[in-house]
Amino acid sequence: MRELELFFGPQHMGMVGNFSITLKVEGDQILEAYANPGWLHRGFEKLMEYRTWIQNFPMVCRINVVEPDHMEMVYAMAVEELAKIEVPERARYIRTIVLELARLSSHLFGCWAYANMLGFDTVAQWAMYHRDLILDLFEELTGGRVYHIYIWPGGVRRDFPKGFKDKIINTLHAIGSCIPDYDSTFFNNPLFYARARGIGKINQEEAKKLGATGPVIRATGLKFDIRKIEPYAVYDEVDFDIPTREEGDAYSRVWVIRDEMIQSVGIIMQCLEKMPPGEVYNRVPNPFKWKIPKGETYVRVESSRGELGIYLVSNGEDRPYRVHFRTPSYPHGLIILERVLKKANIADVGNIMISLYVVAPEIDR
Amino acid sequence: MDRNQLGKWLKEPGKMGHKYSLWAVYFCTGCGIIEIPPVITARWDAERFGVIPVATPRQANLFMITGYVSLKTLKAIIRTYEQMPDPKYTVAFGSCPINGGMYWDSYNTIKCIDKYIPIDGWIAGCMPRPEAIFIGVVHLWTLIEKGMATGYIKYRERYPEYRKNQERLFGKLEWPPLYPMNNHEKRD
Amino acid sequence: MKREIRALFKNVLIEEKGKKITITAKKEQTLELLRFLKNKGYNYLVLISAVDWIKEKEFELIYVLSSYVRKEKLHVILKTRIPRENPRFKTVIPIFENAEPYEREIHELFGIKFEGHPRLTPLLLERDYRIPPFRKDFDTRKYVKKFFEEIPSIEP
Repeated sequence: MRELELFFGPQHMGMVGNFSITLKVEGDQILEAYANPGWLHRGFEKLMEYRTWIQNFPMVCRINVVEPDHMEMVYAMAVEELAKIEVPERARYIRTIVLELARLSSHLFGCWAYANMLGFDTVAQWAMYHRDLILDLFEELTGGRVYHIYIWPGGVRRDFPKGFKDKIINTLHAIGSCIPDYDSTFFNNPLFYARARGIGKINQEEAKKLGATGPVIRATGLKFDIRKIEPYAVYDEVDFDIPTREEGDAYSRVWVIRDEMIQSVGIIMQCLEKMPPGEVYNRVPNPFKWKIPKGETYVRVESSRGELGIYLVSNGEDRPYRVHFRTPSYPHGLIILERVLKKANIADVGNIMISLYVVAPEIDR
Repeated sequence: MDRNQLGKWLKEPGKMGHKYSLWAVYFCTGCGIIEIPPVITARWDAERFGVIPVATPRQANLFMITGYVSLKTLKAIIRTYEQMPDPKYTVAFGSCPINGGMYWDSYNTIKCIDKYIPIDGWIAGCMPRPEAIFIGVVHLWTLIEKGMATGYIKYRERYPEYRKNQERLFGKLEWPPLYPMNNHEKRD
Repeated sequence: MKREIRALFKNVLIEEKGKKITITAKKEQTLELLRFLKNKGYNYLVLISAVDWIKEKEFELIYVLSSYVRKEKLHVILKTRIPRENPRFKTVIPIFENAEPYEREIHELFGIKFEGHPRLTPLLLERDYRIPPFRKDFDTRKYVKKFFEEIPSIEP
């Protein structure tokens, strides 16, 4: 048999975002795979050095377009640590609710992408519809469907409007009552089981060596979640579980995502009950001419794809000196993908890439 | 159907056929990966306007540039655009293709995409809402009906200038020119 | 652990703050220090980054390590400095396998060469730039003005 070189390029219905892989195939089997990122590179970290601290907030949320709130949270946490600003109690509860709603909408986007690629169109339409209901909530709270510039250093920008708590509960009931339908059509479907069982297998030792985090390593049996090890916002005051599975293939990763969605709903309900009244914003004196003392720090949160971190260096001026984002799709999409694709078929390339939960703009920044 | 529409259909069936079934190439470039799926799925249904996503550019006649365009992506866009059959229409979303938008000082993004491929309609916003996308499609229908959406004709007639702009960005291009480079007479 | 490091390696600067330790070392001691920390249980390499201190004429390389189990100190940040002319450093792939794309990106954007790296080809950029783009003497606004705005637009 002859060896061929194929381009699994950016314009393809099985690709999420603009990302391309060069494959060396023989027949139907893949021998080697090389990832080519760079189709979405904007030079973010260089652009942020030209803008002041407050002007950077609308920039930061555009790195990962699917769930922008975690980016704003991690930047706000880093700036607060360097400038020593305190956050009021009610703002911490509101931040937790917003982050969990973003996690829900991101997992539903992942369900749309996976079901659409495999051909289960019914589940894809349901998942997008339910995600739109959550985006309606965001639009009422912050004014924008996709990019909400809501979390900033010192708290959040404005309080909940009147009647918002009931709207959240109604939306969550509408989504939660459809979970048996999702189970019987998608997660427990024997066709999906045949398509996803045993694909893209990775064992725990190798995943730890290659720096995997998030659902990828939770599907191999390790209970690693930053919300439990190093809690931020109010995650140390609510009760939740960390779901894990044993086998480490595509089927177990999708089940971990489904269980995490149910845990997120539980966290939001607990926060809504416990939220105290009060202020939501500690005003920063003169934010347009704000200088932050010298120093550097590394802060991280648990986004829906893994560990999201920022390394921030400040030189005492009114703009950052160096910013570097550590995004979870970087090791998943560049190192783990090349290892796992070595023994796969061509028909499973999209399958593996979406189940590793890679989003292309995070790799290129 | 009322008599007005029936008259139009009988006089120019080709044009009405183009308007009401614009098939879009599924190529989401920049930040627009996040607003194309809601437009295509059940809540804001684009199929009632005739727009469905297709996999290959050989079967499509609408090209949507959603969001910012980087240097690597421009090469892929030009190759995809040149594979589409005539007549074809392009629409640009967002404020980044218009004048650079938020990344106006970046070394890797294209500031004004009209210099490299012809654009028929612009939709402003960051990201525009699905309703704004549908208003853009309806405007495109009006332009097609009046014969004013002539991007592809402009590309064919002034191809040497477009190719020279593309070569200034990338150096020597790997693919041969699409139309002959020294056509002096214009098509009618 | 602070005492062990001070006993084994001379002239290192250690600061502690909350759950983070910051160690500043000379460039000859870095690889041994990384091996020592890996044996102590910090076997998860989170990030390799670089900072351009143009006034002091040095580059600073930063290694952030962490661990998958609960520990008293969760983050170890290791900093070294290398000179700015003809910058080169040894690769850490024999110790941590997932360092490959991080070093490739730093080579492309800052111009630092890593000796022993298997594949130092371009990862993100498309063209060649005379000065690597993330250095402080590359002014991106001047570059945009010179390069993009001089291309003529096609009038109807």
